Amino acid sequence: MSAVISEKKSRNNLVVSYLTVGGIIILAMMVFGVLMLLAQGGSLNLSPAAFYQFLTIHGTGMVGAAALAAAGVMWYFLSKYVELSKKIAQVNLALFLIGVVMVIIGVFSFEYASAWTFLYPLPAISANAWGVTGALLYLFGMLILGIGFLLFYLDTGRAIIKKYGSLAKGLGWDVISGKKAEKDAPSSTIVASTMVTIVNITALTAGAIVLIMNIINVINPAFTFDPLLAKNLTFAFGHIFANSIIYMAVIAVYEILSKYTNRPWKANKPFLIAWTMSTAFTLVIYTHHMLMDSVMPKWMLIMGQVLSYANGLPVLVITAYGALMIVYKSGIKWDMGSGLIFLSMFGWVVGVVPAIVDATIVVNHVMHNTKWVPGHFHMYMALGACAMIFGFMYYLAKEDSNVEEQIFDKIAFLGYTLGILGLSGSFLVSGALSTPRRWATHFPEWMAPANFGAAAGVLTALSLTMFVVHFIRYLSNRNKVEMSPESKKLA
Amino acid sequence: MKQTISGVVLFCILLIPPVRTYMESIMILHMLVQLPLLILAGWLAGKVVIQKFSRFFAKYNENGVPGITLVIIITMYWMLPRAMDEALTFYHVELFKFLGLPFLVGIPLRDSWHKLKAVGKSFVYLNYLPMFGLMAWLYIDTPIQICNNYLEVQQKVLGWGFLIITAFMVLYIIQFVFTDHSEQES
Repeated sequence: MSAVISEKKSRNNLVVSYLTVGGIIILAMMVFGVLMLLAQGGSLNLSPAAFYQFLTIHGTGMVGAAALAAAGVMWYFLSKYVELSKKIAQVNLALFLIGVVMVIIGVFSFEYASAWTFLYPLPAISANAWGVTGALLYLFGMLILGIGFLLFYLDTGRAIIKKYGSLAKGLGWDVISGKKAEKDAPSSTIVASTMVTIVNITALTAGAIVLIMNIINVINPAFTFDPLLAKNLTFAFGHIFANSIIYMAVIAVYEILSKYTNRPWKANKPFLIAWTMSTAFTLVIYTHHMLMDSVMPKWMLIMGQVLSYANGLPVLVITAYGALMIVYKSGIKWDMGSGLIFLSMFGWVVGVVPAIVDATIVVNHVMHNTKWVPGHFHMYMALGACAMIFGFMYYLAKEDSNVEEQIFDKIAFLGYTLGILGLSGSFLVSGALSTPRRWATHFPEWMAPANFGAAAGVLTALSLTMFVVHFIRYLSNRNKVEMSPESKKLA
Repeated sequence: MKQTISGVVLFCILLIPPVRTYMESIMILHMLVQLPLLILAGWLAGKVVIQKFSRFFAKYNENGVPGITLVIIITMYWMLPRAMDEALTFYHVELFKFLGLPFLVGIPLRDSWHKLKAVGKSFVYLNYLPMFGLMAWLYIDTPIQICNNYLEVQQKVLGWGFLIITAFMVLYIIQFVFTDHSEQES
């Protein structure tokens, strides 16, 4: 019995490390976001060079930290079904930290500021804004970070194949084809993890290729490559990797709501088909980032539009509908964990709407370079993916310790929701006003929404601080409480 | 025995001057046909050698790692453009090619591959995959002639050859992870 408890503790320790690092970085990145909005709103005097450094660290850090925390969520639940390597997960965390340190030094000590997109040939041609060292620190940092994640997903893929036979079976293709009964379908956690494994190994490989190409180009500019190919690889990496965060975090929705309601979240045929569709489409829809590149083959752009509609919707609809159904008349006891998880459904549904609008070619030509796009991904990521992660943090604290939720947590819940809605709303309004995105300086007509967004950002950051405080209380309490081998009953 | 004879015959065919000269006159044949065939010759003939010197291989290549390390080092060397150039210019490099690839790559490869664990095999495979991709880029994209003995157009053909191999290696991985392996598990 003690071996079971010690194994569970050790597994939780690792997941807690992922969440702690992720949570702290997300909070720090929020501060940079607020500072950028204040600068755009004319309330803070920030040099353009500093603004673009903040932009670079904010974009890179947010996606990296959210991906790390979401990977922790996936690892926590997936390890209940398959045998994952703890060493690989530890190596991933170590490489992540090394990569982050390199990126921070590159950005702040050597003034590297290409934004997360590091679009070729910008790292090598900066008009003296930064030098070779800064570019190499950033690019190598990203590469090391990517290698860690690649090892992580290779391990999840290995473990799934070992237990289920193949990734096809992990996606439940044998159930879809009728070879196996629905009752024997893999769990929703396995299906989502298989999907993420497939898409992220592809994304990270594309990312590694373009990073290495950029590194070689920075070291020796005589080596060149096709800029359009580079942009395709960059967005194949960036889009898929960022998108996968919600697909990892959604595992928390399936597992936690199921536990709170004491109802199983069954993977039926429509569920499996939806996840297979998302697996295929997630890989190819990155072209919706390139709808303004007139040199792209037309069929790829049309595919980008059509499949963008078809990509997120099946899983979103089936998950949101499933969440409503599982909660309906279940007698669920609402708390911070279940509340944030349920809120994430709202964030996901609402946040995806501006994206689908922007994925429409005629709209994209007008809106894509405006703040409309940050409006989409702030709502989608913060109110969707991050709400799932924070919900999981509360769930873990409840399951693993005796820490009680307080009134401050409930206030923070409200503050976080309103803050993100205000922030995303300010971006969407800015977009509607044709305010360009990624610009350090704004015309006076564009400043009001930026200042409003900054205020909303402060509210969000304060609320997140409360979430983090709760998690720290859990960290200090968890080792004092005797752990039961069985999970607590939450409903 | 059949395999050993096939290996020896293949090696002898590759030694025939017109065959050797023709293969070395075209860059893609030199790199992607002659060199792999020399390795294959060693691999085929290696069965008898490994059996005969089983104690030596058991002692010095117990887990397959030393052997596969040797294989990787020598094959990496032969991916360099100047290695091919030097093989055509200096007889001792040519001699090293004809002796090194069968004896120091083909035979150790045969002895090592089955000794390696699944992780080791995956590592080797996944190591060659990006290397071939990088070579494809190098040979396709280099704007200058990098070998004295081959024209720029031949470099590009070789690059596309590498790219096709890389694509097939990726396809192999995809089919591997999507086909059922549950029966193979103990």
